[in-house]
Amino acid sequence: MGHLSLRDVRVAAGGRRLLEGVSLAAIPGELIALVGPNGAGKTTLLRAIAGLAPPEHGEILIDGRNVATMRPRERARSVALIAGDAELPYGTTVREVVATGRYAFRAWWDWSQSDGDLEAANGALESVGLGAFGERDFETLSSGERQRAWLALALAQDAGLVLLDEPTSHLDPRHALETLRAIRGLARGATTALVVLHDLNEAAAIADRVAVLGDGRLLACAPPDDALDPAILERAFGIAFDRVSIDGAARVMPHGYRSVAFP
Amino acid sequence: MPVLRKPPDVFTYAALAAAMFAALAIGLFTGGTSIAPGDVAYALGHPRLSSDVGTIVWALRLPRVAIAACVGASLAVSGFLLQALLRNPLVDPFLTGVSAGSAAAVAVAIAAGVAAPFVPPLGFAAGLGTAILVGFLARRGGGIDVERLILAGVSLSALFSAIVTLALLRLGRGGGDTVLAWLAGSLAGRGWSDLGLVLPYLGAGCLLAAAAVPALNALRLGHGLARAVGVDVARTQWLVLGSTALLVAAAVTLSGVVGFVGLIVPHVARRITGTDARRSLVSAAMLGATLVPLADALARSLAPPLEIPLGVLLAFVGVPAFLYLYLRPQGARRLWGT
Repeated sequence: MGHLSLRDVRVAAGGRRLLEGVSLAAIPGELIALVGPNGAGKTTLLRAIAGLAPPEHGEILIDGRNVATMRPRERARSVALIAGDAELPYGTTVREVVATGRYAFRAWWDWSQSDGDLEAANGALESVGLGAFGERDFETLSSGERQRAWLALALAQDAGLVLLDEPTSHLDPRHALETLRAIRGLARGATTALVVLHDLNEAAAIADRVAVLGDGRLLACAPPDDALDPAILERAFGIAFDRVSIDGAARVMPHGYRSVAFP
Repeated sequence: MPVLRKPPDVFTYAALAAAMFAALAIGLFTGGTSIAPGDVAYALGHPRLSSDVGTIVWALRLPRVAIAACVGASLAVSGFLLQALLRNPLVDPFLTGVSAGSAAAVAVAIAAGVAAPFVPPLGFAAGLGTAILVGFLARRGGGIDVERLILAGVSLSALFSAIVTLALLRLGRGGGDTVLAWLAGSLAGRGWSDLGLVLPYLGAGCLLAAAAVPALNALRLGHGLARAVGVDVARTQWLVLGSTALLVAAAVTLSGVVGFVGLIVPHVARRITGTDARRSLVSAAMLGATLVPLADALARSLAPPLEIPLGVLLAFVGVPAFLYLYLRPQGARRLWGT
């Protein structure tokens, strides 16, 4: 469970290449942070791995099986994707939302919800600290709680591989940290996580490896200290970076942050 | 809005069932001929009774009430399915052009002098044919493009309306009454044989609807997330299109064009039992099977021996009630959801 392997993946849409020559492998329990500028192909990469954006070249294997040949429910039992495009469900409890992650565990026409499904949903809520929120209306949750509820949905899906697209966007530092801790906790044991983050230092703080994507190509995939190299980051983002060390851990910030000069 | 939500309990469904049976009973006890309730009840218990009362109850009122319930449930379920699939609260079951196709076929058949028994099957076939054509025009990849579906449905409906107008002009005064009555919705003169004709299609439509329900629940979170949890969105779209085509074509064949039910009942159902598709489908069916028999009883008894067209009555009574429910200041905040 949780083995991921991409070989020379190319994804195109509308005549435009979104990803080119991407090769990547992840082992069970590994947490990889995916960073890169807007439009670099981060979301496309997650969608391709989840089987929603089929590659026109190369192959994507999860636990040795090609994603392209998996049926939708079978695929959902292997890989969970929480992208930013989930819509806010009206008049739905948090538990109902999280239980949606159990869809792939029943026949597609089956109305029943087993005790196992309910236990999985409750367990997922507990593990993100929302155990007491099951009966709450989803709309009444704060942004931070919603992010954790989406994470619980991915957990309820019980897949070996979890893909998260910007789980800390719109979150203040405290809630971002709580969410990152929950993700770090989940990527222990057999669950592999691939997480798109915009904050490079968040990536450095939680990831085993950081994958840097620039213009559809994978520029680096290495432990944070190696991947967050100012030269690699400048190639990806097109601006200079400064690197500092905090208690021996490498952190980076755009060179212009020293003082933002107005032209 | 309450912070805590509890799923509707068994009493909610018991109350819905009680309301439905009460409406069916009212339909049975109401009619042009005044019969004592006791006599109606006696006739119900004795199907082989060879009296006028027995004939009225078993050959006229009972099939009519059953047909009204089937029409109401079919339209409500179809409206619910399409609203859930398209995630749009303003969708009604006639969106896919089924009713317009049926109406055009019925109008042309009457104008062309087709014998009366052949008109309903023609309407049914045309309704289904329209749904197939709309699905064909809206298909993209393996599934259906929602915008193309709406465009195709609306365009074809406009074309068929023009055909109905032409047929009405050709029929002129008097001759167009049958078509007009059909367009306004009515259950007058319907019997067991009409129900028997469409019953297999109603059954098939219900089965397809039930099979689409788990996926519709996941679709509440949007297409992207639904696909990620394993929903085959294309299959769900075809299931819903097939189910609503069968149910609406059957309903339109039985009653003509009865508006309002398919648009409004799903909203009321969601308000009562929440947005879980399993619960709303059942409650929508029960509410539809309550509303139409009740409205039909009213249509028969307001100005006997005249019957007020069902569609007209439902609009006159239902729309103000709906506006009051939803547009009063302390009413529901939104149409979508609860």
